[in-house]
Amino acid sequence: MLFSLAFRNIVKSKGRSITTLLLSTFSTILFICYVALMDGSHHQIIKSSVEIYTGYAHVNLNGYRDEGGYDNLIEEADRIDAILKNDASIKAYSPRFETYALLSGDEKAIGSLIAGIIPSREQDLSKLKDSLIKGDYLSDNDTNAIYVGSELSERLKVDVGSQIAMVGSSVDYSIAADLFTVKGIFKTGLFEFDSQSAFVNKAYLDTVMLSDNIASYFTLYFHNNDKIDKMTTDLQASLPSEYEAVNWKILLTALVQAMLVDSIFGYISISIFFLVIFFVIMIFSYVNIYTRAREIGLLRALGLTSKDIFGMLFVEILLLATVSIIIGTIIGASIAYYYELNPIVISGIAETYKEYGVVSDEIPMKFDLFTITWNALTIFILNLAAILYPISKINKLTAMEAMRYV
Amino acid sequence: MKSLVSLLLITLFLHANEAQAIIKKLEKNLRGDYMYSTMSMIVTSKRGKRTVKIESWSEENDKSFIKILYPKKDKGITFLKIDNQMWQYIPKIERTIKIPPSMMLQSWMGSDFTNDDMVKESSLEEDYSAKLLSKKGDSATLELIPKPDAAVVWGKIIIDVDLKNAVPVKEVFYDDMMQKVRIMTFSKIEQHGSHRVPMVMELKPLDPNKKKNRTKVIFEKVNFDTKIDPSYFTKQALKRYSR
Repeated sequence: MLFSLAFRNIVKSKGRSITTLLLSTFSTILFICYVALMDGSHHQIIKSSVEIYTGYAHVNLNGYRDEGGYDNLIEEADRIDAILKNDASIKAYSPRFETYALLSGDEKAIGSLIAGIIPSREQDLSKLKDSLIKGDYLSDNDTNAIYVGSELSERLKVDVGSQIAMVGSSVDYSIAADLFTVKGIFKTGLFEFDSQSAFVNKAYLDTVMLSDNIASYFTLYFHNNDKIDKMTTDLQASLPSEYEAVNWKILLTALVQAMLVDSIFGYISISIFFLVIFFVIMIFSYVNIYTRAREIGLLRALGLTSKDIFGMLFVEILLLATVSIIIGTIIGASIAYYYELNPIVISGIAETYKEYGVVSDEIPMKFDLFTITWNALTIFILNLAAILYPISKINKLTAMEAMRYV
Repeated sequence: MKSLVSLLLITLFLHANEAQAIIKKLEKNLRGDYMYSTMSMIVTSKRGKRTVKIESWSEENDKSFIKILYPKKDKGITFLKIDNQMWQYIPKIERTIKIPPSMMLQSWMGSDFTNDDMVKESSLEEDYSAKLLSKKGDSATLELIPKPDAAVVWGKIIIDVDLKNAVPVKEVFYDDMMQKVRIMTFSKIEQHGSHRVPMVMELKPLDPNKKKNRTKVIFEKVNFDTKIDPSYFTKQALKRYSR
């Protein structure tokens, strides 16, 4: 009986029902899209940072991440190479030798990262080759060729074909120096990376740095990077105890934490909005219920208890909330899904926010069913919670008071 | 009461004055107008031990020229320091490169000294306020606190001095958080002209990650008495005297 009464009320008061429905549906769509956009942009920033150079996971000697330098190098790169080669979960991997050296064009010298990479293997692991903007990418036979970041090339005032002098330290701490010709210039969009990085074919750099069969670390790409924690733990089990396998969540801790803080602030902002929505729904329900005070008084006079009235009004909002959440979720999820596949493009955003790691003008949404479900449930609970106070207030009136209520 | 306070203040002043006088004497002994030396620098680290042989010319406190004699791979590399700037010349690539400020805290030749250590013309007497902590016979311990406007990296230096020879025995360096950072010890004192010089210096960083690291400098020849040709302290000298 309560259900049919509630249903009759919804149908009878079309305007009221449609307004409640729209308010709730709109909130659901907004919440789902907001969270999808926030998660999507964070996901995009992290993905860019991971895929541009860092990689999904590293294998290095214990202590390398804390101390760096030459005291914690992999001195038996062949052995680690063989272990990684036999690991079926790894799709691609490659050793890197990284050092900090002075690079000098004709005018000034700049301290920069200089890394020895295996060009052919690196192209499956990073975006270095894809980021080429001038000249050519490195090849496995290159000798005195260097591949420099766009900002670094500007700071050194060099172009493709120019000569760069490098002075650094060999692994035996003697001075390592050589002249390189700029083969290509890359631009990833990560400002710091583009202004402080240069790459050389590892086979050649090893002769300069005396780092044959030595690597700073191996970078790798799993078949299933979505289960990165499990993949890393499994890999760790196959490594000798003095080595560690770490994934991007640790390698990019600062970035991950920055995104987390940003998410928290995002949720705080949206919470303020939902507080407003909550009170709007509550006030709207309050007014609605009190305009029906006479009707409620009559029902009470006819023998319905306050419990029945509570049930009837609660079922009303339950029905409206369920319908609006379903509609809102379908629309919100569709928008999130669409914009995940076809990201929103805001021209110039990458240029403006490049120091925050924004490397693309595309801002995708993140379609994640779990997130969408909890977003929808939040709005649903908010709707139900907003009706409790008005119902309790009206139920405090006696049948006579309610019928006389103007 | 008043006279007691006055006595205390006078005692403190005299102590500070005495400490400053010790530092002045020490600096005067260790520095001549000119100094020529050859030395071996033995660097020990986790990766092993290596020796670098060095020839050095310096004028007062602000100009110096360094040439690497050994190992063969580094032979002929030269460094020039004028005031707070430093250049290096690498014969293999025939390039003179000025060390940029961003590289000043990098290790010098793989040792525990930084480029900044090589360049800083910090004068203990001018840059620090000295306080006498203790004095017993011929040895004294001083605390050096940087003066407010001094461009130095240390928060404090505690220095043990051999008063008889006017040479340091041990220096403990603290960072600005007053944590011990490194210890330098001096030994094997010899007379060279009018100067008494510790011929062996050993620097030991206290970073737990660098437990095995130490850098030992052994002076082989020291000469304070011969004037050094000013041509050593020019950028042209880097290439010219590299051979």
